[in-house]
Amino acid sequence: MTTSNDALVRFIDVQKTFDGETLVVRNLNLDVADGEFLTLLGPSGSGKTTTLLMLAGFETVTHGDILLAGKSLKSTPPHRRNIGMVFQNYALFPHMTVEENLAFPLESRQAGKAEIARKVGRALEMVQLTGFEKRRPGQLSGGQQQRVAVARALVYEPRLVLMDEPLGALDRQLRENMQYELKHIHESVGVTIVYVTHDQGEALTMSNRIAVFNDGAIQQLASPSALYEEPENAFVAQFIGENNRLTGVVKSVNGSECMVAIDGGGEVAAAAINIGGTGSRTTLSLRPESVRIDPPADGYPDRFEARIEEILYMGDHVRVRVDVCGHDDFIVKVPRSREAPALAVGQTRTIGWHPGDCRALDVA
Amino acid sequence: MATASPPNGGADANGATTPSAATTPSAADANGVFTVDGVPLKIKLRRAERWARLRAIGLIVPLFLFLMVSFVLPIFTMLWRSVENPEIGLVLPRTAARMQAWDGRGFPPNETLAVVVEEFVAAAGDRTIGKAAKRLNYHVAGYRSLTMKTARRLERAAKQQGMEALLAGPDLIERFKGIDARWGERRFWTILKQASPPHTAFYLLQSVDRDFDEDENVVKVGEHRAIHVDILGRTVFISVNVTILCLLLGYPIAYLLATLPTRQSNVLILLLLLPFWTSLLVRTTAWLVLLQNEGLVNDLAITVGFWDDPVQLVRNRLGVYVAMVHILLPFMVLPMFSVMKGIDPYHLRAAASLGANPLRAFLRVYLPQTIPGVGAGVLLVFILSLGYYITPALVGGPRDQMLSYFIAFHANTTVNWGMAAALSLVLMCCVAVFFAMYQRLVGVGNVKLG
Amino acid sequence: MAAPPYATPLQKSWYYALRVICGLIFFFLIAPIVVIIPLSFNSVPFFTYPMEGFSMRWYEEIFGDSPQSLLWQRSIVNSVVIAICSTALATVLGTMAALGLTRAEFPGKSLVMAVLISPIIVPIVVIAIGVFYFYAKIGLASTLTGIILAHTALGVPFVVITVAATLQGFDHNLVRAGAILGAGPLRVFRKVTLPIITPGVVSGALFAFAASWDEIVVVLFLASTEQHTVPRRMWSGIRELLSPTIIAAATLLVIVSIALMFTMEALRRRGERLRGISPG
Repeated sequence: MTTSNDALVRFIDVQKTFDGETLVVRNLNLDVADGEFLTLLGPSGSGKTTTLLMLAGFETVTHGDILLAGKSLKSTPPHRRNIGMVFQNYALFPHMTVEENLAFPLESRQAGKAEIARKVGRALEMVQLTGFEKRRPGQLSGGQQQRVAVARALVYEPRLVLMDEPLGALDRQLRENMQYELKHIHESVGVTIVYVTHDQGEALTMSNRIAVFNDGAIQQLASPSALYEEPENAFVAQFIGENNRLTGVVKSVNGSECMVAIDGGGEVAAAAINIGGTGSRTTLSLRPESVRIDPPADGYPDRFEARIEEILYMGDHVRVRVDVCGHDDFIVKVPRSREAPALAVGQTRTIGWHPGDCRALDVA
Repeated sequence: MATASPPNGGADANGATTPSAATTPSAADANGVFTVDGVPLKIKLRRAERWARLRAIGLIVPLFLFLMVSFVLPIFTMLWRSVENPEIGLVLPRTAARMQAWDGRGFPPNETLAVVVEEFVAAAGDRTIGKAAKRLNYHVAGYRSLTMKTARRLERAAKQQGMEALLAGPDLIERFKGIDARWGERRFWTILKQASPPHTAFYLLQSVDRDFDEDENVVKVGEHRAIHVDILGRTVFISVNVTILCLLLGYPIAYLLATLPTRQSNVLILLLLLPFWTSLLVRTTAWLVLLQNEGLVNDLAITVGFWDDPVQLVRNRLGVYVAMVHILLPFMVLPMFSVMKGIDPYHLRAAASLGANPLRAFLRVYLPQTIPGVGAGVLLVFILSLGYYITPALVGGPRDQMLSYFIAFHANTTVNWGMAAALSLVLMCCVAVFFAMYQRLVGVGNVKLG
Repeated sequence: MAAPPYATPLQKSWYYALRVICGLIFFFLIAPIVVIIPLSFNSVPFFTYPMEGFSMRWYEEIFGDSPQSLLWQRSIVNSVVIAICSTALATVLGTMAALGLTRAEFPGKSLVMAVLISPIIVPIVVIAIGVFYFYAKIGLASTLTGIILAHTALGVPFVVITVAATLQGFDHNLVRAGAILGAGPLRVFRKVTLPIITPGVVSGALFAFAASWDEIVVVLFLASTEQHTVPRRMWSGIRELLSPTIIAAATLLVIVSIALMFTMEALRRRGERLRGISPG
């Protein structure tokens, strides 16, 4: 699987420090495949933006190397890397018209007048801004500026485009529309995109793969569904989607299964994902939608009595906060349907889940 | 931990990753970060930073050097003149040395007086004595004529009798007394002694109306010579009044500008900027024209019947105040305006909704928020007025001249550079104190214009 | 805009009182400048209204060919040469320094900044006699070069302050964008940085020009008759006999001031439009 021949970008043992004492990026190894939409996802300060800036050439690599199409970028300044980039605040040149903004990279590459006109026209068509050529960025709405920024990053047909939280400044509705548009542009142009965001929804919607960053290192690199359904450590489980955590001690391990004694009392079977040997501490991760109230007898060996503390009506589902095993912040999502059990605060009900949905992870 | 997971459908990406970070990432140990070539990272980083910093400094250096040579150095050279005392040492070098050695008691010893005679004769011969005479006159009026007269008499005597005969005799002091009785006063000799060293505190002391007496004690100078403290006091007094007047006139203007809709305030700001951009000399001239006895204001007042004969409105303190306030008002309004512009009008509404009456809301909510702007404006106007020269010189009378006028006077008319430098130093110190306050309040990088 | 309908009578009277007071203060600010301009067209050398008649004779005294006029014309040429040269020097040096100041932190930066803006803080008389004292020693007194150097120093702070302020609002990502889009450092500076800071540079240059154009004290000390500028000639005139010719010269200076002011305003509004702030 570690075939690197068709990797467009390779990070090899990359380290980065600003002050010489703390590593902002530690020993990063990452391959970005040609044509891929790869998202670097993580909280602020996790090193994802620094990684992007090193790739763009705005930050030096302290140690290690970055290869683009097999060539080291070490001595290539940003303007010779032939990479496209969309900035968080778009960084459109305020003194140039839309047309001039788009022509700028082409002129930098000594393109002919006719070619420039053709490519600018095509790029504007792609982001549906034909007719806005003579406007200045200050006369455009946020969404339109965003499109111009995307068009400008693509107009000179780079193989790789970097995007640094490009949708961060847009309101929610616009952001969701733009997510689809970016995805369509990616699919139709076939360009490789490295995308930085702290918004997991955005990452899950658009990416082929997501690299979850925390504390300067990749915690997990996987497809959106794998990331959500099969988190490999407590950080990822907690960071992506909603998650219930129960702590306990491993009693026995049996292949891919294990038995865990929960701190608040009781013993459950769980999928052994990321645990030490018998006797080590572990965090159990459970998605709220995997938990059933009044589960059928079959296939739900993990069962507990839970007291209902709070019920929140969410439209398509009901969120039930229950007190179980000494945790009073355990959430259960109950889809709204005719068959949904009648619930009331103060009731004590049985909850249960499938052992495969309960993942025993490291202690974060 | 995290082994590579295959991408979920989509692209043919099968890039792998081997994130080798520990499961429980710990902070990088403090000194353990080295680059491949073994140089501690910190040092390597510092090198890179230093390079960027050098490039930035390289951009600043030309201007810095330019200002140093064309501006800072001249001013410091001139200010240094306030303690330099070269005249006697140049004209009468041996006298200067001898007088410095004299203990100042009684009269100088005969050998010293002999040197004085020789050098007076020589200096009278090559006409350099005037320079020394002028220098000595700074201490006591009349010392110049005394020196010139003595030098001329001695020169004549030396020609008639020969130098040897002139220097013969045990009591040369008697010969001096014979030329002028003032040489019998000890202070004329101690003054010569005090004027002899290459550096002196004389001018600095003079600038605060102090002097050395015969025994080198610092004393107040005589009443008729004690003018500098008065001038400094007058300078500060006029500046304070101008500042207060500007504040009183400027605050309502700034308030109005800040509360009007932008479209209207933009027009009014132009009315404020027009005087701001108009040459100081033009504005001063305008007031001179308007306020003179045959001027427009007197004319109008007499026509309307306010007064019957022309009233002196200019070349007095009134003219100074009118013209200076007119010139400095924009400097007061602009900083206050920019602060007031930033005050949320909802604060006043909030105060009103909490039951404060408008006056109370203004005093308790609005006024305190404008203090930074007021402070900046007040300090700016005060600093600028301290150095005013042109306006008082044109529209003020003799008793309305400020420190700058006397600095220019000493540099220009009496060509007493020591005094000009000492007074400059006094003015600079005043300005520096208030500028330091201004800097603390506004920040030197945040000085705004227009 | 009228007083709000819910205002009490007291509030209403305050509202109008403020406007009347401000009206009077604005009158005080503007009237002296406006009132003297027509007097430069008076046919007799008096400074009162009503004017006797209209005449251009005072302007002829400046632009004619009498010996006095030639001195006036010479002073105009001197003023223009000095102002342009010192503005150019101050603009180049000041812009470079402002770029450097905003690029790096270094020890003593605030001290350097204090030196760079000190020419507008040090009292002008101290500057004038200091420059005179020093330049006389090195043979620069009574030369145009000397005056230009001194005026450059006086103009530099305006350029540094305005350009630094412009750079503070400058989005550094634009430089990065320029680079990643394929433009080398020089092209980025020429095509991106420079056009964006140009309004600030021009504002600074206008301030520097005005500072030199209006300056009198340094010229008073440093210039002999050869180098007299317009303000310096006015100064002699005012001290000797206040003639309407002085007012005519003053009118010319006012016209230049107004031109500078409106250029400045136009620049400011253009800058706001560029940034997408709708002009008020």
